[in-house]
Amino acid sequence: MKPFIAILKYDYLQRTRSYAFLITLCLSLAIAYTFVPEPNASYSTIRIADYVGYYNSAWFGYVTAIMTSIFLSLIGFYLVNSSIATDVNSKIGQVFAATPISNFKYLFSKVLSNFLVLLSIVCVVIFMSVILFFLYNDGYTFEPLTFIKPYFIITLPALFFVSVLAVIFEVIFKKYTVIQNVGFFILFSMMMVFSAKTETDFALDLFGSKIVIEQLQETVKTITNTSDNIDLTIGYVLGNVKKANKFLFEGIAFPTVFILSRLLWVLLGISLIIIIAPLFHRFNVNDRTPAKKAATNEEKQFISNTIQLMNMSIVSTNYSIFPLIKTDFLLLLRKGKKWLWLINLIGMILSLALPLTIAHQMVLPVLWFLQVHRLSDLTSKEITNHIHYFSFSSYKPLSRLLVSQLLSAIALMLLLALPLIIRLGITTNFEGVISIILGSVFIVSLTAFLGILTNRKKLFEILFFMITYANLNRIPFADYFGGLTHSDFYLIQLGLISIFLISLSVLRRKHQLSQ
Amino acid sequence: MTLEIQNISKKYRGNSYALKDFSITIEKGILGLLGPNGAGKSTLLKMIATIHKPTNGIICLNKNNILKDANYMRKQLGFLPQDFGVYPNLNAYEFLNYMAAMKGIGGSNLKPRITQLLEGLNLIHAAHKPLGSYSGGMKQRIGIAQVLLNSPKIVIFDEPTVGLDPEERVRFRNLISDLANDCIVILSSHIVSDIDTIADQVAIMKNGSLISYGDQEQIIHIIKDKVFETTIEKDALLEFKHQHIVVSTSQKNGKLSVRYITDHPQESAIKKEANLEDAYLYLTNTH
Repeated sequence: MKPFIAILKYDYLQRTRSYAFLITLCLSLAIAYTFVPEPNASYSTIRIADYVGYYNSAWFGYVTAIMTSIFLSLIGFYLVNSSIATDVNSKIGQVFAATPISNFKYLFSKVLSNFLVLLSIVCVVIFMSVILFFLYNDGYTFEPLTFIKPYFIITLPALFFVSVLAVIFEVIFKKYTVIQNVGFFILFSMMMVFSAKTETDFALDLFGSKIVIEQLQETVKTITNTSDNIDLTIGYVLGNVKKANKFLFEGIAFPTVFILSRLLWVLLGISLIIIIAPLFHRFNVNDRTPAKKAATNEEKQFISNTIQLMNMSIVSTNYSIFPLIKTDFLLLLRKGKKWLWLINLIGMILSLALPLTIAHQMVLPVLWFLQVHRLSDLTSKEITNHIHYFSFSSYKPLSRLLVSQLLSAIALMLLLALPLIIRLGITTNFEGVISIILGSVFIVSLTAFLGILTNRKKLFEILFFMITYANLNRIPFADYFGGLTHSDFYLIQLGLISIFLISLSVLRRKHQLSQ
Repeated sequence: MTLEIQNISKKYRGNSYALKDFSITIEKGILGLLGPNGAGKSTLLKMIATIHKPTNGIICLNKNNILKDANYMRKQLGFLPQDFGVYPNLNAYEFLNYMAAMKGIGGSNLKPRITQLLEGLNLIHAAHKPLGSYSGGMKQRIGIAQVLLNSPKIVIFDEPTVGLDPEERVRFRNLISDLANDCIVILSSHIVSDIDTIADQVAIMKNGSLISYGDQEQIIHIIKDKVFETTIEKDALLEFKHQHIVVSTSQKNGKLSVRYITDHPQESAIKKEANLEDAYLYLTNTH
């Protein structure tokens, strides 16, 4: 048991003692701030027709617990789904593989470590929600048990199962992160659209929110004396300027079957880990690079007699950044599996074939998001590949190397958007063309900034996913490529934000170089 | 060509120093930098390579302060770090072209020079394979190739022989000797045999400070008439180590033959000729 606890403890510490995790916690704090809107806010999160609950402990607890359950399940998966990959990359996995620890214990320690990481975020959300309660409440006293109960019943089992899924996906799909990411997103979407009406349905709802939503709807139906279906919104709905009516919500008495079902989700998770454990590669990973042939005598001979430094060709000075852009572009193209380019090609064909609005609003953000693995380490790959000793001591690293990285990534994004740009150009929608160009600059400057800030790729991956999710839900605030209609200042805003991010990237890299 | 390092310090949080008031002047030739792990060798080399900046002090190359004008150094630098990596998806040609572009060199002679380097380092057979498939020794040779791309005037090798087999080490030393005819070569190691056969000057570091600097004869002179060899019982070794600086031990007829440094040798001890390794151990144990 001791080694198991030790792995769990140090894995958790290793993952949380990073700048990226600190930023994630800060972002969680900011997002938690929006879960229960300020009384005069122009958006809503959970609203049943024109009704929201009085701001009491129950409403705060249930709303924030549901929002956390849904959003942290989605984002959390992407946050924790590289725990085994980290051990593969750091080679520490091979050390584990040579110890007596069983596959199950190792995988289960990863599940618990994932869960603890997510739990840390839940604690931040709870902290912020309690503060907001004292700021916004409608004259009700704070009841800790009522507030915390939905977290235990709704949120924690969901997050535990997501922690399990993250490990299972890593074991099954190994380093195919694109399949893991897309696969989970499909699974998540299916769970979200799953309609629950009976007790059995409620038990099958992983996120545990549907039983609460059903009860809220019933309460509002009673108040409004209607038996018709009632509009319900979960998530961020902007522009809700109509002031909501209020009703008293005092929480719900969860049926025993439902509580048991939440426990069963946890048990199912543990059972799945037991089932999957024999399939775990235990770090006997085939990296699919060409096999290292035993060196021939000829290859083994290190420096032959032919190397005469005095007689070698003399190179000349050439400060052009074109060779750098070319290689950076090559690195972007070669990242990941070759068959992913088939998907990109399909995306580009769809950009040509589908109606222009759909191509712009739906295909483009998805096509660009599929490049997340290429973009996410744009400015951190030097550190992760230990190239920074060369690049930081190269000639003018700031004005040459960083610029070449930005330009090559922008070129890649524009290449993918080329069919759409051509169509927009043909229809003389030049504002659309400029939006896409600025959109590519924005997303590249975002990854450059976050990569330089954290020296990791995870934060950008999570943010890019959130932005794309918002894009698919047509939230205007997140539209960075001009898919929706905007005010005249939109392009200027987009340009200014990109300039701001690039400026921050330059300043931060300059600071790194001067250390 | 002169590299002057004047009173540089690198201070970390908590008042700990990686380097403390370190000064040295380096002329053309090979400087061997010796020191135990954690002595500050890599920190010093990264400062010379303009990757890190000192908290205090200045570094001048030919009277140009490289802390203010880092590009003056970068234009004539060849640096092989201790734990460098490569981009696994690039082949040797692409990687070296990328390195050349980083260094600001090119022209029509670049491709022939890369080919000559790859031939000379016997990597030409694998030149079109991705670097991710290279062995540790082959990657080390790619590192050496990038050092030599731009005919550097300052060459820094940080623990360069790690990953090389004994045969490769010998050949590497020959290459460095060839290289040093026209430039400053700084070679760091904690393996004395890597240094003693080729270094014109030797600097020994410990705990961020320079504890000895000079040519090999000067340094060895410090322990002249202090190196002895004797035979002791195996179980007496621990006690013996408390009293003397033990350089090495070897088994001999069920007993231990011990080479050691002392001012007060045993009567039965035989005086030995001192070498750089003796001096290194003496200096790092007495400072």
